[in-house]
Amino acid sequence: MIGLAVVPVVLATLLIGARGVAAMRSTSDFLVASRRVSPTLNAAAVSGEYLSAASFLGIAGLVVKNGVGALWYPVGFTAGYLLMLVLVAAPMRRTGALTVPDFAEARLGSPRLRRFSAIVVLVIAGLYLVPQFTAAGQVLTLVSGTPYWVGIVVAGAAVSITLALGGMRAATYVQAFQFVLKLVLFIVPAVWLLITVGADTRAEALRPAEYSTFPRPTEVTFRLDTRLEVREPLTVLDAGVPRLLEPGEHVAPGEATWLFPEGAAVPTIAGAALPGSDTWQRPLLDAGNGHPLLATWSILVATALGTMGLPHVIVRFHTSPDGRAARRTAAITVGLLGSFYVFTVVYGLLGGVLLPELYLSGATDTAVVALPSRVDGGTTGDVFTALLTAGAFAAFLATSLGLLLALAGAVAHDLLSESLRRLRLTALLAAGVIMLCALPAVRIDVGAVVTSAFAVAASTFCPMLVLGIWWRGLTARGAFAGMAVGLASSAGVMAAGLVLRPQPGLVALLLGQPALFSVPLAFLTMIAVSLRGRPAPGAEAAMLRLHLDEA
Amino acid sequence: MVSRKRVAVTSPQTRMALATRRGGPGPLTPLDAETLARARGIRRRQLRIALGTLAGAAVLLVGLPVVLGVVPRTFRLADMPIVWLAVAVLPYPVLAVLARLQLRRAERAERR
Repeated sequence: MIGLAVVPVVLATLLIGARGVAAMRSTSDFLVASRRVSPTLNAAAVSGEYLSAASFLGIAGLVVKNGVGALWYPVGFTAGYLLMLVLVAAPMRRTGALTVPDFAEARLGSPRLRRFSAIVVLVIAGLYLVPQFTAAGQVLTLVSGTPYWVGIVVAGAAVSITLALGGMRAATYVQAFQFVLKLVLFIVPAVWLLITVGADTRAEALRPAEYSTFPRPTEVTFRLDTRLEVREPLTVLDAGVPRLLEPGEHVAPGEATWLFPEGAAVPTIAGAALPGSDTWQRPLLDAGNGHPLLATWSILVATALGTMGLPHVIVRFHTSPDGRAARRTAAITVGLLGSFYVFTVVYGLLGGVLLPELYLSGATDTAVVALPSRVDGGTTGDVFTALLTAGAFAAFLATSLGLLLALAGAVAHDLLSESLRRLRLTALLAAGVIMLCALPAVRIDVGAVVTSAFAVAASTFCPMLVLGIWWRGLTARGAFAGMAVGLASSAGVMAAGLVLRPQPGLVALLLGQPALFSVPLAFLTMIAVSLRGRPAPGAEAAMLRLHLDEA
Repeated sequence: MVSRKRVAVTSPQTRMALATRRGGPGPLTPLDAETLARARGIRRRQLRIALGTLAGAAVLLVGLPVVLGVVPRTFRLADMPIVWLAVAVLPYPVLAVLARLQLRRAERAERR
């Protein structure tokens, strides 16, 4: 029943879309009007589009799984807008380019570069969309007890209906509304949780004890086949049947439910930190590879530099009237995002104390939604679960719609003729493909996979935008080579890591989070290849034009 | 009265996705020598300002993890380890202040 909480979100999205359209009809030209959006409204819209299911659910889940260091993710997500403000916001707006492929052609005059950029858009949007669907599916599974695939289908249906009925038409208002909705639905339950859990739990969350033994008989439903390292012999009840586990490695099959006895030693899982353990409490990221500082830097490089290349974010800056307003929008966005992300720590720390068994079950992405019922088993708990579900779904919907349109746009440019009907069909088709990809992707960490999309954006679009705006010497050939190297050393290396499955260590870290070397490599390639060639005759003027203010 | 011509109402995303293939905002008027010189000056000033803000961001994003790696968790503020506050709360006001400074300086550089 709680799953029905998503219905008002979808309805409100459609309704505001329709109202916004009605309000706009009185003006003679909607297209001009939409460019008069004030920086504050636009910043709320940017934030509304940006706060995805990964932000709403994924980060708190990563805190439960990997520890306090996961709080660096939202720092990078926010810093991304500072770097956008510093390096690209105003000049990018002045090109009149709506997308990175547009920019590539406007600044470097190469249709080939444009097509390649469109392919990179597909990679980034795909990596970003699949985890959104996964998160939505998991949450619906949790709150309504249906199988995972039902959640995916419902999520896909909601997106498709909204797309088909044109719920994104007055997108700026819808997205700004979504931001306020998400902010309220994130902060109010956080405050309620903090008050309701009581002083003891609050103190415990700040001084967590290691989850080394089960404090009570604990039932764990494994999301997937899970490799457990049993430290002391223990007897679990597997569907009521006692089963002795000797010390060593055991595989718990997915969907199985084991009852662990009180006082038994908690088995460990490779690549995750036991909640409350010393590693867990360290404020650096480390998924068991032993290089916390490198891991933290790598995440920060990917998220902070990747934001400027996200296809659904850049277009929002186009609704600013000029470069100066675009810059203001980016600056305000930094503040708005900070006011949201500062509350993730509440869910992360409470999740670590109240739901440590998620560490075993693997369903850490559901921590946020599962917390209210753990604190209050009655109606109040259900109400807050419903509120958080609605917020998570709003996050999923806002990001997915923006990305699907960006993805459909990239496809439509090169493959199909451009009409609104075709575009909508392409977006629906893309939603279908993403749903099919999300069905087997139940294993992924939502926050971690989203970060891989940032890593690709940081290794491809970031160098081209930064060099294109600030260096007259960039050539189309250089940009092409740099982006190809960046794509191979980010997406390619991560794919290789998935296939090779290296032992935990430096190699595993670099294969899993390649931004630390792939971004500098892309920059260097771009510069080196450009230096070997000669920039187009008007290159300097083309670059300088981007820095001229409109006054 | 307003003209009754019907206009397809679309979101920025839809417009972007619909936009025909084109190389930017159409034919550009060439810049004269004076404007070029002014643009060079603005770019140089903006670059200097940008590098300053980037240095501040680097202190936060590169330096703070180093510090947090060595400071023990025993120091607490309002019962929360200070190193936790330093990652969970501190970065957001710092980023907001950096953004504000950058915005002010970048706008001033254009007004000159």
